[in-house]
Amino acid sequence: MNFHRIRPLFFGLWAVFATVLSGAELNVFAAASLSDALKVMSKDYEAKTGDKLLLNLAASNVLARQIKEGAPADLFFSADLAKMDDLEKAGLIAPDSRTTLLSNSLVIVVNREGGPAITAPADLAKASVGRIALAEPQTVPAGIYAKEYLQKAGLWKQVIDKVVPTESVRSCLLAVELGNVDAGIVYKTDALISKKVKVAYEIPAAEGPKISYPVAVVRESKSPEAARRFAAYLKTPEALALFSKYGFQAAPKPEAAPAAVPKR
Amino acid sequence: MEETFEITLFTLGVAALGTFLAFPFAIGLAWLLARRNWWGKSLIETLVALPLVIPPVATGLLLLLLLGRRSPVGSFVENTLGLEIIFTWRAVVLAAAIMSFPLLVRSARVAFEGVSPRLEQVARTLGASPGKVFATITLPLAARGLVAATLLAFARALGEFGATVMIAGYIPGKTATLSLSIYHLVQLGRDGEALGLLFWSIALAFGAVWLGEWFLKRRAS
Amino acid sequence: MNLRLQDIHLPLSEFTLKVDVLLKGRVTALFGASGSGKTTLLEIVAGLRRPASGRVQLSNSVLTDAGARLSVPVHRRDIGYVPQEGALFPHLSVRQNLLYGFTSKPERPAALSFAHVVEVLEIGTLADRRVATLSGGEKQRVAFGRALLAAPRLLLLDEPLAGLDLPLKERLLPYLGRIRDEFAIPMLYVTHAANEVMALCDEVLALDKGQVWFQGNPQEFFEPSQTVSYVVRAKS
Repeated sequence: MNFHRIRPLFFGLWAVFATVLSGAELNVFAAASLSDALKVMSKDYEAKTGDKLLLNLAASNVLARQIKEGAPADLFFSADLAKMDDLEKAGLIAPDSRTTLLSNSLVIVVNREGGPAITAPADLAKASVGRIALAEPQTVPAGIYAKEYLQKAGLWKQVIDKVVPTESVRSCLLAVELGNVDAGIVYKTDALISKKVKVAYEIPAAEGPKISYPVAVVRESKSPEAARRFAAYLKTPEALALFSKYGFQAAPKPEAAPAAVPKR
Repeated sequence: MEETFEITLFTLGVAALGTFLAFPFAIGLAWLLARRNWWGKSLIETLVALPLVIPPVATGLLLLLLLGRRSPVGSFVENTLGLEIIFTWRAVVLAAAIMSFPLLVRSARVAFEGVSPRLEQVARTLGASPGKVFATITLPLAARGLVAATLLAFARALGEFGATVMIAGYIPGKTATLSLSIYHLVQLGRDGEALGLLFWSIALAFGAVWLGEWFLKRRAS
Repeated sequence: MNLRLQDIHLPLSEFTLKVDVLLKGRVTALFGASGSGKTTLLEIVAGLRRPASGRVQLSNSVLTDAGARLSVPVHRRDIGYVPQEGALFPHLSVRQNLLYGFTSKPERPAALSFAHVVEVLEIGTLADRRVATLSGGEKQRVAFGRALLAAPRLLLLDEPLAGLDLPLKERLLPYLGRIRDEFAIPMLYVTHAANEVMALCDEVLALDKGQVWFQGNPQEFFEPSQTVSYVVRAKS
């Protein structure tokens, strides 16, 4: 064994020890729509505090189910209230740790390179629009919100045969990006990060569903203090500014109309 | 679940169609692999085995990139032939065909290799053209093995999930196979309702494989 | 027969097959130890293998010409082949085996009718039996019959009596004699049994490690001095 082989081994061991000794590792189960913002945030957070964020990003219904089945989560950051309520009823959330911080809006997106023209929601019912991707409307928050909106707009029955359900809002976005569907309904935050789609119509806050992103510490968390620390960090102006950079809005206040964070 | 019957029927149909489509290519290739040698043969053997070992979702992703509307192949099929593939029943059939293809080739090859080349040679000296030799000697003697191979491939097609979910997705009434429906119900938290589908899934696969094994063991009549 | 094997050359794993002869016998014995290249030579004549160089010509037809990249396909050569194991088709009945190569050609000699062949070889009673139910001797006779009924110009037999016990060999030898006499089809007969050569053949071609070391008649071949000196005889 020559010395040059041993050196990386030592560094590896040292790094592991350093991590173990220095900071906690937090399993953050977060909705897919939060992917990009959280990935950036976790780098900053780790540099700042030494706590490492391990992100498990998927549709909120999938995450909720995993937590119910005992997956080792420390924090749950859901895209709708229903999933969080579910876990709370099952006693899986640390009491008093739940807050709702963020909101989002829905947009209808189309592929940048062409396809049927869509300028208003009613266009979705046109014959020229063949397939519409939605996140699974029975389980995934983005799909539930989209269906709620389409029902309110009286369009659901006309488009139901065109719907291609996808596993998460991100795979919905992908379907539009690849051009395999004519349109999709995703969060505004998703549309902003994709270069291959453009927003055909933004559903105004007044007409759209109330979207809320609650976050809570999981009761069985192995690092509850670190989890609470991060939950507290999420409320800081710095964190909120990062989210708003990605297009998220502040949570709708229960008593007042939703107030949007001033867009840049 | 009321739709259990439709879903089971649909699954049987797409698996059968997929196996049927794969059959001529698989048999032809299996014969070539059994009876001929050529430069690059091991490359072909490896390529054919890939869908067996690559994760099905990876194969599905490859197909998605190859056949999506904006890809060269996909746009040709859609614009020139007027056929949509992704997110339709055609994608389900395609996934079934591709995922069962390697299994069919392998087993069919073994069946052909079990036919003594001497018999084929003698047939040729008796004036039989290569086509006649294949039809009257090779095929009948390999028949039992070929039937078993087809049934095995059919069973595989019945249970196909990973590639299907990528290129066809789960669209109730349009692409819902047994495996996709079971997965969907579990996602919804309604696993209890998936039991009927589970039963049929197992029953069909069991039947297909059992029949295949029976064929292999049967004495030549 | 009039079988010209001209400058046949084929490297094999342990030696090179080199044959340059003209065979004229009614029944020519192809004599040699195991692995001396006899089966390979038969396969070349049948068209199942190609030589690296050389020509195969039967009477007026050139069947193989390696230099000209010519090789008449096996199924058009009209050369019958009975391999060592007989190789009856197990999924067909005896009758179906016999009739496999049977076509009603106008030039078919009357002697080669189904009835006559079956009578000469005494396999009539076997016609509707399945192959698996036949004894070793019966299988061989059916194999001969099958090859004959295809009306070949030349019949290649690869040790047809090997693997049969002595009484059976003695019983079958006359049938081969009948084939020679009744049907007048030339035969190239691989064997290493002297009694078969003496009983059937009027010409002997002997191979050792792929090379011809004797061509001539059986009497000369079995002279005691021949087995001692390996002299390559002049072509006849």
